[in-house]
Amino acid sequence: MSNLKVNIAGVDFKNPIIPASGTFGFGREYNEFYDISELGGFSTKGLTLLERDGNANPRIAESPMGMLNSVGLQNPGVEYFIENYLPWLKTIDTRIIANVAGSTVDDYISICDKVSIDGVDMVELNISCPNVKAGGAALGIDPKNVEMITRAVRDTCRKPLMIKLTPNVANIADNARAAEAGGADAISLINTVGGMAVNYKTRRPVLANVMGGMSGSAIKPVALKMVWQCYNAVNIPIVGLGGITSYTDVLEFMICGASAVQVGAANIYDPMASYNIVKDLQRYVDENNIDINELVGTLKVD
Amino acid sequence: MMKDRVVSVLSNTKVADGIFEMVVHSEDFPELIVGGQFIHIALPSLAHPLRRPFCIANFDMSAKTITVEYAVVGEGTEILSRVENGTELKALFPLGNGFSLDADYKTIALVGGGMGVAVLPAIPTTWQDKDYHSFLGFATASKAVLVDELSKSGKVYIATDDGSLGEKGFVTSLLASKLAMIKPDAILCCGPEIMYKSLARELEGMDIPVFISLERRMGCGVGACLVCNCKVKTPKGDKYLRACVDGPVFPMKEVIL
Ligand SMILES: Cc1cc2nc3c(=O)[nH]c(=O)nc-3n(C[C@H](O)[C@H](O)[C@H](O)COP(=O)(O)OP(=O)(O)OC[C@H]3O[C@@H](n4cnc5c(N)ncnc54)[C@H](O)[C@@H]3O)c2cc1C
Ligand SMILES: Cc1cc2nc3c(=O)[nH]c(=O)nc-3n(C[C@H](O)[C@H](O)[C@H](O)COP(=O)(O)O)c2cc1C
Ligand code: FES
Repeated sequence: MSNLKVNIAGVDFKNPIIPASGTFGFGREYNEFYDISELGGFSTKGLTLLERDGNANPRIAESPMGMLNSVGLQNPGVEYFIENYLPWLKTIDTRIIANVAGSTVDDYISICDKVSIDGVDMVELNISCPNVKAGGAALGIDPKNVEMITRAVRDTCRKPLMIKLTPNVANIADNARAAEAGGADAISLINTVGGMAVNYKTRRPVLANVMGGMSGSAIKPVALKMVWQCYNAVNIPIVGLGGITSYTDVLEFMICGASAVQVGAANIYDPMASYNIVKDLQRYVDENNIDINELVGTLKVD
Repeated sequence: MMKDRVVSVLSNTKVADGIFEMVVHSEDFPELIVGGQFIHIALPSLAHPLRRPFCIANFDMSAKTITVEYAVVGEGTEILSRVENGTELKALFPLGNGFSLDADYKTIALVGGGMGVAVLPAIPTTWQDKDYHSFLGFATASKAVLVDELSKSGKVYIATDDGSLGEKGFVTSLLASKLAMIKPDAILCCGPEIMYKSLARELEGMDIPVFISLERRMGCGVGACLVCNCKVKTPKGDKYLRACVDGPVFPMKEVIL
């Protein structure tokens, strides 16, 4: 079998496929469909210090080859996660990335401290969720803030720190450099692209929150471009995501510079998506007799 | 273990104005299905990646078939209405909790409004030894479906908004007018939320257990994405539960409409 193992910021993953935050719950639901230890790892639903109810319903809409959501970080709170989900996750042989969010810098500092515990392999800082009115988006937009928040959590975060970037910014490369300067061990991108869905008959927005975040195949070209831009801007590893639904999408992201990838909306469309991508990718590297790491950043632009 | 299955379309025919009935078959069939559960169908269209949830209107364990009764309301159901026999579709089923009927519920009132009637026929299929009375509300006669099907399980009462079939008016008032006669042990209901509100009003002061099925836009259908939340009263205070796995059926007194 040809190699699918990757290493991101000192953490070994058995393969580069990681279900993305918010599309995989805390792993239990999909473990009913297949053994989730087949995955490289997964990123948890965004955790906040206190339980959050999220936004009003409807929270989902379809768009051509994609979807919009405005869940608004509904989650049971970090303590509940640690007490009720983490013990089971520790028994699963896959990497656990704790995705965390907050409204203030102090929230971020404190939640990074709380999740830096046994069972969590990496922390993914969501500074980009477009749905939280207070703070979230603001911290991820200005590169100065990206650097500030990264530096602020650096000490209390005792696990490898991955900053998740939002695409809704002026120049993604500046934000990637800011995360690196602040001390990030890795970056992941992209989070959802801001969008809306409208019903012309009722003249109403489809989402109760009016605006939401787009994901799925429709955003793949945006994500590929940004991964490539960041690859040329920083030296820390990049985890690429945005619209991945097949192993060929994974290959494209890795060629553009991603060392691993995340799969989001595809899990929502098809519960077997991440598993099938792992199997297809294994077949591809076997047939072509390559180590998956050889592909990273090999885009030919001459 | 849960499974994503492939179903093949045996028939897909128009049964009323803008309403279709689709029967699908899968050799790989689940061991248990109960009335009130749903099927989450993937469309044969890359542009429409979200699955569409529909009630399991009926099922046949030996023929390994599921019947779906659906209204064409948007792009997805329009695509579905053009699907030909023999087409294979990916489908997750059965999803959701479904109804649960206590052994001492003998007389059951089934209440459906509009496409909400689609959930009803699977109930007598699941619990055959009960005494059923169906109350069906439609906008107009040309939208009426499943009347014959439900007649097989007991008496059917119909109300339409325009009086073109059955009585003119709300199905909830029709139900209220027959309660004293039928004395149901439980009421199972599916329809728009406005119907639940009027049902709650009609039943005020009575303590007949009422179970309703909630409709929410869905993503995964399996509890992971949290887009289908609904507000429910619990002993620990109001909670947001997931319609796809914690529901879609809830006791009406627990739901915050
Ligand atoms: C548990 C459950 C059971 C259902 N059972 C039936 C049934 O038996 N028969 C029937 O005709 N309809 C049923 N519905 C409603 C049905 O799912 C929608 O009418 C259908 O999804 C519309 O798809 P569309 O592509 O035509 O509409 P579009 O508006 O083009 O769809 C866009 C998106 O919105 C979603 N959506 C739109 N309207 C609804 C709605 N009313 N409820 C949920 N999602 C919606 C779609 O699924 C899709 O994701 C049920 C819904 C739920 C949640
Ligand atoms: C329903 C839903 C919920 C999400 N919740 C979160 C979240 O809690 N935290 C986060 O960092 N990203 C969240 N995301 C964003 C995804 O992790 C991912 O960045 C985005 O969807 C793009 O990838 P995709 O096109 O593969 O879905 C969510 C996405 C969806 C669709
Ligand atoms: S539809 Fe995804 S949690 Fe209910």
